[in-house]
Amino acid sequence: MKFTIKILAFLMLGLSTLSTYGQQVSKPVRGTFALTNATIETITNGSVQGTLVIENGNISAIGPNVAIPPDAKVVDCSGLFVYPGLIDGGTQLGLVEVSSVSLTADANEIGDIKPEMQALTAVNPNATAIPVTRVEGVTTTLVAPVGGTIPGTASLINLVGYTPDQMFAGFKGVVVNYPSAGRRGRRDRRTDEERKKQEEKQLKKLNDLWDNLSLYHKLDSAAKAGSGEDLDYNPKMEALLPVIRGEMPILLEVNQASAIESAIKWVGEKKVKAIFTGVAEGWRVADKIAAANIPVVTGPVFSMPTRTSDRYDTPYANAGKMHKAGVKVAIRSNDTENVRNLPYNAGFAAAYGMGKEAALKAVTIVPAEIFGVADRLGSLEKGKSATLFVTDGDPFETKTHVKHLFIDGWNVPLDSRHIRLYNEFLERSPGLEK
Amino acid sequence: MKKHPTLFGLICLLVIPSFLWAQTNNDELRPVTRTYALTQANIVTEPGKMIEGATIVIKDGLISAIGKNVKIPIDAQVLKADSMYIYAGFIEGLSHTGIPKAEAQSGRGGRGGGPQAPQVKDPGSPPNDLAGITPEKNLAASLKPSDKSIADMRKLGFTAANVVPNGQMLPGQGALVLLHGDNADKMILKDQTAFFSQLVGARRMYPATVIAVIAKWRELYRQAELAQAHEKAYKKSPGGMSRPSYDPVLQAFYPVINKEQSVFMKASDIKSAYRALSLQKEFDLPMVIAELKQGWHVADELSKRDIPVLLSMDLPEDKKGKGGKKGGKKGDAKKEEAKKEDPFKAEREALEKRKMKALKEHWTQAGNMEKAGVIFGFSTLDVKSKDVKANLRKMIENGLSEDAALAALTTTPAKMLGVSDMLGTVAAGKIANLVVTDQPYFEEKSNVRYVFVEGNKFEFEAKKPAKKSDHNAKVVVAGKWTYSFEAMGQNMDGILELVDNDGDISGSITNTAMGNKSTIETAELNGNELSFSIKIDGGGQTVMIEYNLVIEGDNMEGTVSAGQFGTFDLEGERIGTPNK
Amino acid sequence: MKKIINSILFTCVALSLFGQLDKGDILIKNGTVITITNGVLEETDVLIQNGKITRIGKNLRTPSGTKEVDATGMHVMPGIIDAHSHIAIDAVNEATNPVTAEVFTGDAINPLDISIYRALAGGVTSSHAMHGSANAIGGQCETIKHHYGSYNPEDLRMVGAPRTIKFALGENPMRVHGEGRGIQPRTRMGVEQVFRKAFSEAKVYMKAWEKYNNEKNTNPKASAPEYSYRLQTLADILTGDVIIHCHSYRADEILMLMNVCKDFGIKRLCFQHVNEGFKVAPELAEFGATASVFADWWAYKFEVYYSTAYNASILTRNGVVTSINSDSGELIRHLYHEAGKTQRYGDLSDNEALSLITINPAKQLGVEDRIGSLEVGKDGDVAIFKGHPLSVYAIPQMTIVDGIVRFDINMDPADVRMDVNPEEDLPAFFLEVKEYDNCMQGVHHQHLFFHRH
Repeated sequence: MKFTIKILAFLMLGLSTLSTYGQQVSKPVRGTFALTNATIETITNGSVQGTLVIENGNISAIGPNVAIPPDAKVVDCSGLFVYPGLIDGGTQLGLVEVSSVSLTADANEIGDIKPEMQALTAVNPNATAIPVTRVEGVTTTLVAPVGGTIPGTASLINLVGYTPDQMFAGFKGVVVNYPSAGRRGRRDRRTDEERKKQEEKQLKKLNDLWDNLSLYHKLDSAAKAGSGEDLDYNPKMEALLPVIRGEMPILLEVNQASAIESAIKWVGEKKVKAIFTGVAEGWRVADKIAAANIPVVTGPVFSMPTRTSDRYDTPYANAGKMHKAGVKVAIRSNDTENVRNLPYNAGFAAAYGMGKEAALKAVTIVPAEIFGVADRLGSLEKGKSATLFVTDGDPFETKTHVKHLFIDGWNVPLDSRHIRLYNEFLERSPGLEK
Repeated sequence: MKKHPTLFGLICLLVIPSFLWAQTNNDELRPVTRTYALTQANIVTEPGKMIEGATIVIKDGLISAIGKNVKIPIDAQVLKADSMYIYAGFIEGLSHTGIPKAEAQSGRGGRGGGPQAPQVKDPGSPPNDLAGITPEKNLAASLKPSDKSIADMRKLGFTAANVVPNGQMLPGQGALVLLHGDNADKMILKDQTAFFSQLVGARRMYPATVIAVIAKWRELYRQAELAQAHEKAYKKSPGGMSRPSYDPVLQAFYPVINKEQSVFMKASDIKSAYRALSLQKEFDLPMVIAELKQGWHVADELSKRDIPVLLSMDLPEDKKGKGGKKGGKKGDAKKEEAKKEDPFKAEREALEKRKMKALKEHWTQAGNMEKAGVIFGFSTLDVKSKDVKANLRKMIENGLSEDAALAALTTTPAKMLGVSDMLGTVAAGKIANLVVTDQPYFEEKSNVRYVFVEGNKFEFEAKKPAKKSDHNAKVVVAGKWTYSFEAMGQNMDGILELVDNDGDISGSITNTAMGNKSTIETAELNGNELSFSIKIDGGGQTVMIEYNLVIEGDNMEGTVSAGQFGTFDLEGERIGTPNK
Repeated sequence: MKKIINSILFTCVALSLFGQLDKGDILIKNGTVITITNGVLEETDVLIQNGKITRIGKNLRTPSGTKEVDATGMHVMPGIIDAHSHIAIDAVNEATNPVTAEVFTGDAINPLDISIYRALAGGVTSSHAMHGSANAIGGQCETIKHHYGSYNPEDLRMVGAPRTIKFALGENPMRVHGEGRGIQPRTRMGVEQVFRKAFSEAKVYMKAWEKYNNEKNTNPKASAPEYSYRLQTLADILTGDVIIHCHSYRADEILMLMNVCKDFGIKRLCFQHVNEGFKVAPELAEFGATASVFADWWAYKFEVYYSTAYNASILTRNGVVTSINSDSGELIRHLYHEAGKTQRYGDLSDNEALSLITINPAKQLGVEDRIGSLEVGKDGDVAIFKGHPLSVYAIPQMTIVDGIVRFDINMDPADVRMDVNPEEDLPAFFLEVKEYDNCMQGVHHQHLFFHRH
C-alpha cells in the first residue's frame, strides 16, 4: 500500500514533467524540401549524386538533375549523405517510460494469452525516448508487448505524431513466444526438468489454442455467411482471426536451436504466416530457416553468447551467418530507451561477417519488406514516404552526426531532452559562484 | 473410510520419533563374550605389510595379541577367518555420520529443501547462533547414536569418524567418534578434534556471502588474539585492569591461535580451495582442507606447504555411460535422425571430450595427490554410503595405489587426529577397531564379513546374488508374511496377508507406523513373481504404492515404489500359513 | 599511529601467495601505436620484456627468444580498463547491513568466469571488480588483471593497486534497507546520516586505539579496545588509504557526498554511474572528484530519468577526469565502442574518447603509473585492433596482459571454459536478458520491487 502510493507519486511527477516536456521539443514542420548536392543512398538503386525532393510527405524526385519546385526549401547537403530512415524490427519504445516504475511500464499485461492487447493503444506519443531515438536516424520502430505465451499485438510506428494513429506505419502482427526449455536470464532458477516440463505444457496450450481458433474461424465464417449462429464475444479469438485467415503474420519469438527447428515444423503444420524474432541460435540452424523461407528479425546483436562453450562473437556473427545461408534477416535492438543504438547493432553485425550493404538493408528495406510496408518505407524511391535522414558520414559510425531528419514528410527538428541538457549544462551558468 | 497420511507425510512423522524404535531393542541378544580370536587370517597390519595365516586376539576392546602362534584365551569365541583379510578399522577424516539428516539440511545446500531462514530483527547483526557462528559448540549434543548413517558406514568398514556438526560458517567442534554405542558421550574417543569451518554464509543475514564470511573470520581471529592476550594479562595480575569479557566464540579460537587445534576447512571446489589456502597463509593457520574435489590444481602447492587434505569420496559419474541415452535429453528429441547431418558433430564431440577429461580429472585426483606427495585422508561429507566402495575402486583404477588408499583410510587420519597410538594400524595394545573381508577389500567382489568397533563384533553376510525371477516356477504365496524396507533412512515394516483362490490373489497389508490395513489391488502372480499395489489416500491425494516381489520358499524380496517418493528394496519372510 | 594500528591489522593487499606469475616477452612490430599520453606513432614497434614495456620506437631489434607480433596496418593501444564491473567475482552484495566496509570482493575472485575471456576479446585487460550498491557503504573492491587461464585467484589481483571501496547513494540502498527492512536509510537524508555516523564512529575508534597504543608500553594495565574490522576499514578511508568509488545518480546526492567528504577530510573520491554528474560538473572539478559513467544508459529507473548521453563529454569539457565503464558482462566486451559514442554525443577527440577507457580509469583506480597508456616502464598491457578502435567496424585481434597473449583472434579455441561440469553433456542454453542494475546482483528478490518486463 505504502509502496503503491510511492509509485503513484513517482508516476505523477513523471507525467507532469512529461507533459510540459512534450511542448518543449520544437515542432516538426511539413512542406516542400529539396535536398541538394547530396550523396543519396537509395538502398534499392545504388548511390545517387544529386537532389532529392520532398512534396506532400513523399519523395517526389531523386536524381542528379531534377527540377527544384519553386516553393521548395533548399537544404544544401554538400558533403552529406541521405539514407532512408532506419527501421527497428522490435522494441518497447513508447510503451515503457521508466522501467523500474511499474506504473509507467505498459508492455506486459497480466495473463498468458492476450492477443487482444494492442501495443498501439499504449504508445505514448510524448515519450521522452521518442525524440531521443529519432534524432539518431531511427525513424520507424516495431513496438511489441512482452510477457506470456501471446503478449499481444505489435504495431509498426513512425516516430512522429501526436496520436498513435498518426504514428501508425501500416503493420500489425501478433507476438507469440514459442515455448522453450532455455533459461530466461540469470534469475531463472528452474531445473532442467522443470523447464522441459513447462515447455511441453506451453506447447500443448498453444496447440489447444490453435484448435480452438480453427473451430472459431469455421463457426465465425459460417455466421458471417449467414448460415450459423452468432458467436459470443471472444476478444482473443477475434484478435487471432486475421492470423488464421492469413491476413496477419505472427511474430514468433524463438531463440534456442532446438526450439527454432520445432517452430519451423509448427509453422508448417499450422500454415501460419510467421516472422521469427530473436533467433539467437539461428546460426546453428540457418539452412533450415532458409529452406523454410521464414524471415527473421534478430537481435540485439549486443548480447551474450547463449552457451558458455560458444565462441565469444557468436551474437555478433549470428545475423551474418543467417544472411549467408540465404535467410532474410532484419536487425532489431529489442530495447526501449536506447533504440538509438540500432545502427550500432547493425554496424557490429556488418563487421562480424554480414558486410555493410547487407547490414544497412537489415535496418531499412528488409524489415520494410518483412512488415509489408516496402511500398512506403525502407528505401529512397520516388513515390515513397519521405522518411529519411541526412548525415555527415556512415550512419553506423559513432563519429557520424545526423544533420537533418524527415519522417513521413515532416521535417523533424534535431531536438531531444538529451540534447537540451547538453546545451544547458555544457557551460553551466551560474558556474561555481552563487 | 479413514484417511491416511501420504507416504511422505508418514516418513516425516517417522523421522522424528525414532526413539520409539530404540526401545524395541531391549530384548536383543547380548553377546556372550567380548573376547574373540580370529584365526588363520591375512592380517594387513598397516599399508603394505601383511602377515599371512595369523591369529588375532581381541579382549576388553583392545587387540591383545597378533601372530602365528598366539595363545587363544579360554573365554574367546573363535572365528575361523581362513583366507580372510583383516585391516585396521577405517576412519572418516571428516564426516557428519551420526548427525541426523534433518539437521544436515539446515545448511545452505539444499535449495528449497531446508527449513525457512529464521527471522531476525536486524539481519545486519544477528545473534551468533543464527548467523552460523558457534565454534564453541560441542559435538555430543548433535550426535544421535541410533542414526542410520552409523550402521551404514560401519557396514563398509568404517569404525571411527571425525564427526563435525552441521551448520554454516563455524558449526562447532569435531570429535572422534567410535561408530558404535548408544550413548553419545561414551562414543566419543577424543573431543575437540577439529575446528570446523566452511565458507558458507548465513541465510539472509550477516554474514550472508562468502566475502562477509571471510571478513568475519578475520575479525573474529583478531578479536580472539586480543582477548587471549587480555585474559592472560588479567590472570597474571587482575588488579587495576578492566575485566575481560566472557566470549565463548572467541575462546574457541584460542587453540587455533596457539596452534593446538587444526581448522578443518571444507573446500570442495577449486575456488574454495584457493580461498582456504589464502586464509591459511594470512594467519599461518594450522589447517586441514576437507572434502576436496578439485584439488589437482593445488596439489604441488599443498605438498610444498605441507597442508594435509581430506579428499571427498564423492565422485561425479559418467551419466551417459550409466544411463544409456540419458544424456541426449537436451530437448533435441528425434536426435537420432538429425545426427547424420548434424553440422555441429565436431562441436558435440569436442564438448564430450572435455566432459570426459573433466570426469577423468576428478577420478585421478587421489592418484595425483599421491604422486605429488600430499598428505591425504578421506572425508565423507557429501558421499552417499552406497557409493563409497565403488568410488574407492574408481580412484584406484585411475592411479591411486591400494596402499595409499588404505593409508588414507587408516594411518593418515589417525595421525591427523593425533590418535596413532590408539587407531590406524593392527597392533597389539591398540583399540580393537577392525574390518574383516573375504577377499582383499579393494577387490570388486569382496565382502565385509566382520567389523569390530572397540572389540564389539558386527557380523555381515556375504552378499548373496539377488533372487532370480522365473516365470515357470511354482510357488505358494498364500500365508502371513512379515516385511520390512527402508525408506528415507527409516525402517518400515508390517504384515502382509495373502490369499490364493486358485490363482486369484487377494489380501491385505499393514504398516506398523501407520497402524492401518490396506487392501491389495491388481495382484498378479507370474511364476515366482508377485506384483500388487495399494492406494493410500492422504488429504485428497491418492498415492499409489506398487510392490514387485520374487518369492522363494518362505522368503520374498523385491521393490516397493511410491511414485515420486522413490523406490525401496523390500525383504519379507513367511511367518504363518493361511487360514483357508 | 597509523603504523601501529596497521601492525595488528590485516592488510588486504595481495599476499603473492604462490610466487610470481609468469611475465611475458613480446615485440609488437610496425603498428599504429596510440600511446594516449604521447600521441599516435605510425609504423612503430612496442617491446615488452618481463611483462613491462621497455622500448617504443621504429625498427626495434628483436631480442633473441622474444615472440614477434606483426601489427602492420593494425592499431596498437593500451589495454582497456573498466573502472566498474562485477565479472570474475562470486559475491557482489553483502546486502544485510547498510554498512559492510569490511567485506572485500577480492576474497571471492572467480578466475574461472568466462566473462574474463569475453572481456579480453574486447581488448579489456584490467577491471575493477566491485561490490554492489545495496548498501550505503558496501564492500572493498579489487582491481584485477585479466589473466584468464590461471586457476589461482592471486594471479588476477593487480598487486600494488590502491585499496578501493564501494559506496552507494539513492534508490538502491533506500530500497534494500528502508523499503525492504524498515531501517534507515529510506531517504537521501538518511543516506547522508549513514556516512556521517559511520565516519564519526571510526574517528572515535581511531582515537581509542591511538590512546591504547600510546600507553600500552608504559601502562601494563592498559587493555586494547575491541577490534572492529569494519571501523578499521572506515578509519583507513579517513587516513586516505582507500579510494571511495560511489554509486550515485542524482546531482543533489553527489553534492551531499562531496560535503560529507569535505567535513571528514576525505579527498580520494570517484563517482560511479553519476548520471547527473553533468549538472554539477564544476563542483566535481573543484573538489577533484572523478566520474565513471555509462556511455548512454538512462531511464531504467527514476533517478536516471533526467540523464543525457552527453554526460561524459560535459564532464570532460569541465575538467573532470571521466571514464566510461561497463557494469555489465555484455558491455565490457565493447567498451571501445561505448567510448566512441562520446564522439556522437559531444564531439570528443579520438584521444579524449580513448582516454575514457585507458588513462582516466587508471587514474580513478590509482594505477596510472602502471597502466592506461603505452609508455616505457609501464605494464605490458596492450590491445591490438584491426581498424581504428573507435570505429564501429573495429575488431580486436590480440590482447596482451603483462606481456602474455591472453586473446588471439587467430587462435580462438571457441570453447574456452576453464571449469567443465563433468555431469553435464552440453552447456545449457542460456538467453541472457538485458538487465540493468547489475549492482544489485545477489540481493534477494524481496528487495527488488521492480521487474523489467
